[in-house]
Amino acid sequence: MMKRIALTVATALLSLAAAQTIGITQNNVGVDSYQTTYEQAFIEYAAELGVDTVVLDAGGDEARQIAQMQDLIQQEVDAIIIWPTNGQAVVPVVRQADQAGIPVVVTNSNIAEQGFDFIESFSGPDNITQGARSAEIMCDRLTERGLAETGVIVEIQGQPGYTTAIERSDGFQDRFVEVCPDVELLESQPGDWNREKSQRVMENFLVKYDTIHGVYSGDDNMGVGALNAAKDAGRADGITFVGATNFAVGYEAMERGEYWGSIYQSPVDDARNALDTALAILDGEDVPFLNYFDTPKITQDNQSEFTKPVF
Amino acid sequence: MSTTATQTKARTQNPVTRILGRILKEQPIWLFVPALVLFFSLAPATSEYFFDLKNFGNILLQAVPIGVIALGMTFVMINGEIDLSVGATVALAASLAVGLQGALGIFPAVAVGLAVGTALGVLNGTIVYRTGVDSFIVTLGAMLGIRGLVFIYTQEQSFYAFDFAYSDFGLSTIGPIPVVGLIFLAITAVLAWVLRSTRHGRDTYAVGGNREAALNAGVRIGRHVIINFALIGFLAALSGVLLSTQLGASTPNMGMLFELWVITAVVLGGTKLDGGRGSILGTLGGVLAIQILRNGLNLMQVPAFWVLVILGSIMIGVLFIDRQAEIRKQAAR
Amino acid sequence: MTQTVATPPPTWQERGLKLLRDQGILIAFLLLVIALAFASDRFLTANNLLGVIRQVSILGTLALGVTFVVIGGNLDLSVGSMLSLTTVLVVDLHDKIGPGPAILITILVALVIGAINGGLVGYLRLNSVIVTLGMLSVLQGATLIYTGGKNVDIQNQDATWFAFFGRGQLFTIGDVNINVPVVLFLGLAVVLGIVLHKTGFGRKVFAVGGNPVAANYSGLRSSRIVLYTYMMSGFTVAIGAIILGSRVMGSQNNVGEGWELRVLAAVILGGTSLLGGSGSIFKTVIGVLIWGVIQNGLLLLGAPYYAQWIVTWIIMIVIVWLDLASRRGRLWAAT
Repeated sequence: MMKRIALTVATALLSLAAAQTIGITQNNVGVDSYQTTYEQAFIEYAAELGVDTVVLDAGGDEARQIAQMQDLIQQEVDAIIIWPTNGQAVVPVVRQADQAGIPVVVTNSNIAEQGFDFIESFSGPDNITQGARSAEIMCDRLTERGLAETGVIVEIQGQPGYTTAIERSDGFQDRFVEVCPDVELLESQPGDWNREKSQRVMENFLVKYDTIHGVYSGDDNMGVGALNAAKDAGRADGITFVGATNFAVGYEAMERGEYWGSIYQSPVDDARNALDTALAILDGEDVPFLNYFDTPKITQDNQSEFTKPVF
Repeated sequence: MSTTATQTKARTQNPVTRILGRILKEQPIWLFVPALVLFFSLAPATSEYFFDLKNFGNILLQAVPIGVIALGMTFVMINGEIDLSVGATVALAASLAVGLQGALGIFPAVAVGLAVGTALGVLNGTIVYRTGVDSFIVTLGAMLGIRGLVFIYTQEQSFYAFDFAYSDFGLSTIGPIPVVGLIFLAITAVLAWVLRSTRHGRDTYAVGGNREAALNAGVRIGRHVIINFALIGFLAALSGVLLSTQLGASTPNMGMLFELWVITAVVLGGTKLDGGRGSILGTLGGVLAIQILRNGLNLMQVPAFWVLVILGSIMIGVLFIDRQAEIRKQAAR
Repeated sequence: MTQTVATPPPTWQERGLKLLRDQGILIAFLLLVIALAFASDRFLTANNLLGVIRQVSILGTLALGVTFVVIGGNLDLSVGSMLSLTTVLVVDLHDKIGPGPAILITILVALVIGAINGGLVGYLRLNSVIVTLGMLSVLQGATLIYTGGKNVDIQNQDATWFAFFGRGQLFTIGDVNINVPVVLFLGLAVVLGIVLHKTGFGRKVFAVGGNPVAANYSGLRSSRIVLYTYMMSGFTVAIGAIILGSRVMGSQNNVGEGWELRVLAAVILGGTSLLGGSGSIFKTVIGVLIWGVIQNGLLLLGAPYYAQWIVTWIIMIVIVWLDLASRRGRLWAAT
């Protein structure tokens, strides 16, 4: 404890002498607009606050992320923000950073519980709650349509093996049987966060099942792919589409009345929250350990309360 | 130029220059590696952190996952075959080694991972040899199928090594040199010897160079093909285990795209895809070149998008220089 | 040259064996279709079968061009990230300069990239695997730099004639819709089949791939032929990108990721040799259809995705093996 206080004092003193440097290693910038917008928002916000940053991207590869963590430790940055490629795999290297006296903040998706001792805080959305909220949106809508007893739905998941994909799917499935126990989830297949792939998956669902009342997709990008397939087959009218991470295309499809609902999650909030958390820690402030930012439900009914996503 | 003239000329040079000259002629990649080191040591953006024993340790450590497999790929490619399934084997072996630790203990679990990797290598090699189906197709299929096995075994889950001794090993060092890196260098030395100085090594070249001639000379082709696939299966599994000691965990998506980077490193090191030619020393150079580039570009804070462009261009550039050297060599003859 | 002794007409048995030898892959394909028809009553419907062809039309279009490269004795591993770049390009330019110019520029860019690949491989004689792997990385980076990592979307999706390529329907037979992607893929297959098998250029591709040294000595300009094969590959990627962009009306930066190996798998499944000098467009079409039927059939059977991967593993090897075995007349390659 003394060591940590001494360290905080030392960093505080250092920060008077030189600007603080914060290193960040991200999961996979460019794989989707969310992560790209996050990176831009992060860089802009850091410039606004006058904080020096080292911005790295692991390209979705755990090994490369570990290498980048080691490089950041080598450069003796003041704090590290990590967007884990995998919640389990980064624990040892996070522990290494902790042992080197560098505070670590986890952003966007959390690391495994075993690593909690070695991080200062988690800043990001709660993916399990997001899945649960999507389940509620879906169930409410099906109930409105009078399908609470007879409805059948399908699910298109994110890329297999990735934490966000697993958590959203689990959150959705667990909550859905609670709120709509009589609606059957016919099948779940991965769409790999890819619109074209989920379009293909949906085409096969449409051939296989004569009746589908709802489609839950792990994000709006895949959801719009499913919508495309259903429109092509002339069956979009009878289907409730619910997604997560509201994309601009999803927002527009909601405006057109083709897409029902999603979860509103702003990458700008995400990035700012992470940098604020890291700076607060460097200043010695008290920060909640799980520093979630809110990700509300968005549907055709309330979308006017939200600005259109920029990605 | 007459032969006697060349000999006299060679004799007048001092032995160090001669050996150096030979290395550079045989493995132009070894021109490139020191050039990179020099560049990043002098460049203002990286000079502060790059030329540092600890950083060199990091580079070595980071080179291990691709490097270990690349050693095996060198054998397979000299043999005239290819193995695209290595990335999936990395994930399977790591998942087994970490996932079974709780039930079996660390060492038996690691042994199971390595054994399964080796067995899959034997399976690949046997199918390639016995059915005559191109190894590209056999291992491309295996790349999908083995990844399928990973997801069946893990049920999509990542596994966590509860015993910190496991990840402490992966991150441990002797002086500034990481232990995992030393293991890699030791294997490199052993395999360089095997390829150069054993019957199996020589026959591997012979089979890749001219299969008919090797057959006529009484070389048992099948045995060498299967041994080499077993070797790369084992090394891919070892790479997975070593990587999982660094991660302290396994994930079902580990090793994605490793096959492409491994092949790149091996070919940069001068091994020819159509078989018969190549060396372990060259492969080591190829592996280090890629990792030094990545490390240096990271330290330079080159945006990730540009890193891809630079890496790709340099790959083609090195190949071009290699080709020019070869043309000159042929012209000199 | 001709034998004076009249050979007896072949018996049915001999004809059957010859058919098996020449069209082993086709027969394996038909067996696969029959098996799936028994397994799922949804499989053998006109709409589903056309759906399969539509789903593989992009993969198939790319495979047509790659067939030229492979027969010419080289590989093209850059088609995946080239697909990403060109799809992003056609979608992004659509709203900026209109669909017509966007399509033209996209095709042009793809031809230039193909020419760079072909120049490096054909004229400088660099190893095609590394050249195109390097290009894979370069183009992936170029795509991300171009978009800044963001998705691109076409704004007014219902108002553009660009929708024709990926979503249009040409005509309807009964309740079966004939889609434009299907017609584009099969039409291109016919045209490129003629180019490869009925023209002087096609013969030179085979000659260069079969024996590059001999082709050089016999006066064929092998460098130029290799260049053209890569430009052909670039061209088909551009067509694939147009279909993909039109179908999705948007693009991510990594849409083509992993396609290079899938395309090659389809080409080789059809029986085109990786060593160059042999193969055909027809074989590639069959290879592409096999790939599509496996994926579609397993999804219809409701197999989880990992089971699909394992079954694909087995089927891929068995199909190529049976084809080889029928040609050499015995099951095992070596004793």
